[in-house]
Amino acid sequence: MNSAYKKEIRYTIGFSLLLLLCGHSGLFFVAFPGLRDAMILGFPSQYCIPVALGWLGLMVVVVIQAKLTNDLDDEIEAVTSTNTTSTTKG
Amino acid sequence: MEQQKWVLENPTLGIIFVAASFVAFYFIGWYSAKAAKSSTDYWTAGRNIGALANGLGMASSFMSLATFMGVTALILKLKVPFVYMWIQFALSIPLITLWYGTPLRRMGAYTPAHFVRERYGLSTSYVTVIFMILVMLMYALGQMIGVAKVFEMLFGINYTVALVCGGALIVGYVAIGGMYGTSYNAAFQMVLMGIAFIVPLGAIMKAMGGTGWYFPPLLYADMVPAMLEAVPDFFDMKFGFKWYFSLIPCFTIGAMGLPHLGMRIYTSKNLKSARGAMVWFTFFCGIVFSATYTMGFSGVFFQATSGTTIIPSDYDKITLILNSVFNPPWVLAFVIAGAIAAGLSTISANLMAIGALISQDIIATIKPNLSDKTMQVIGYSAITGGGIVAILIALNPPTFLVVSILWAFGLAGVTMAPLVIMGVWWKQANRYGASAAAIISGLTYIAVSPYLFPDFTIAGGLQAKLGMSGALLCVPLTFLILTVVSMITDKIPALMARIPHEEDKRLVDSIHGWADYDEERYNSTRAGIIVAAVSLFFVIWAIMPGGWTA
Repeated sequence: MNSAYKKEIRYTIGFSLLLLLCGHSGLFFVAFPGLRDAMILGFPSQYCIPVALGWLGLMVVVVIQAKLTNDLDDEIEAVTSTNTTSTTKG
Repeated sequence: MEQQKWVLENPTLGIIFVAASFVAFYFIGWYSAKAAKSSTDYWTAGRNIGALANGLGMASSFMSLATFMGVTALILKLKVPFVYMWIQFALSIPLITLWYGTPLRRMGAYTPAHFVRERYGLSTSYVTVIFMILVMLMYALGQMIGVAKVFEMLFGINYTVALVCGGALIVGYVAIGGMYGTSYNAAFQMVLMGIAFIVPLGAIMKAMGGTGWYFPPLLYADMVPAMLEAVPDFFDMKFGFKWYFSLIPCFTIGAMGLPHLGMRIYTSKNLKSARGAMVWFTFFCGIVFSATYTMGFSGVFFQATSGTTIIPSDYDKITLILNSVFNPPWVLAFVIAGAIAAGLSTISANLMAIGALISQDIIATIKPNLSDKTMQVIGYSAITGGGIVAILIALNPPTFLVVSILWAFGLAGVTMAPLVIMGVWWKQANRYGASAAAIISGLTYIAVSPYLFPDFTIAGGLQAKLGMSGALLCVPLTFLILTVVSMITDKIPALMARIPHEEDKRLVDSIHGWADYDEERYNSTRAGIIVAAVSLFFVIWAIMPGGWTA
């Protein structure tokens, strides 16, 4: 099993977890009530962090996701063309 | 304290702005549709939409009339839990792109149901198409009713006339423009609604003395004390862990199953462009979503500081009321045009999905040899027919169809998303597993909703009405049935001999970009067992009582 395939699986699971973390960070405030009501930038923490992560945090993740998955496409293409060439020659 | 129902005092400017915007929509639709040379172009915009336009279009499909009219009311009704519910919608396109958007774009799919047909066969695709048409119809219906109500308010005509006229105008521009027109119109509508929502909001905040008026989406901390004084429990969590967790199966995975969102990715020039569009989507979606929370805050701040009371039935008009108080009439007219644009962008995406599902996923499979010209005529007819059905239902809508558009998200999450996800990522998923999962889980989701058997729900109350408790049970149930039935039938040679499973497996490698075939890729039995075990855990957890309230 080549590394591009393993990387594809790792990226998909890893970025899914990061995306879920950004979009559902409110769950932490439900699970751990002690995290609530600390004021951050004038807002209660259970409001400020989910709103900020749900937009700005998400932006950071998707930019990295786009960059790495684009690179991975190139890698798969390179692996595939190498395999095809060696099969043809062989 | 003055307390009266809000009415639009001078609709003339609003009528002029809305009429001008419709002229622009028709022109964009007609002009951009000239690029469509075939039925494939008609449904996929020639797979030629750039990243920025596509990102705007993706975001606008998600900005509905609710952004202007309903969200502020729901923020004040449900408070922070609703904000949590809204935030996670921004995950939809990034997750779709990551899990199946780019593979299906590589395959050349028209709709997610097209992939289901190629991967699981015709019978399974018909099941999913029926569910998807129902979902899109429910979605379009809510918008159609909303647009009719705005027309009713604007023109002073009765609801039926407003609905028929507004509906006909909408169906016309969608049918003329096809996916080219819909995509460029959606991009234009997103710009229009973004400016119409955020810039006047800055002026409102400045007039109210808000110090963060120059960036409304995030800088409104000075309104927090007023919010706490007027609504002391605004930041309370209210619901239990199960309630918040069920947002994932119902709305996050649910949005992944909505065909009109996936279809945006298939219009991209290439995969890099699709991912670029995803980044733009996140930016535009985030800025408008964040601004809607500010609008809700501004409504409360206005009441707390001015002594004016907005009656609860007018909460959904807070955006219009604040603009009528603090901005000149032409700005209010512009905001109304923005609200109409928001409704239209969603309906047009829904109608395109209905049209593609009917023409490409039903008619083209029954009559595969029809000429391209005939298919184009069928395309126009499918969109128009879908629109007419939505208008007719909206004339006297059954309670079940309008109670909650959000309930439809769960249905998409149950019947479509797991089939596509597993079909793309797990070769052992087969036609028996997919059919059984879609039918059993889809019908179970409908059966446990409060709309069919009010006494037979997983959890009563809001979570049942919104489909959250049903989705918490049925989304994992779909994964469970799909994996278990696939693994069992895989061991029965007589059954496997009846389906082209080897071809189905080769499709998986090819849509991931592999030119060669490797039996080991995406073929882990252990992964199937893990998915089944985790799904079983959530099915049991969903059925267990408690956990919904704090």
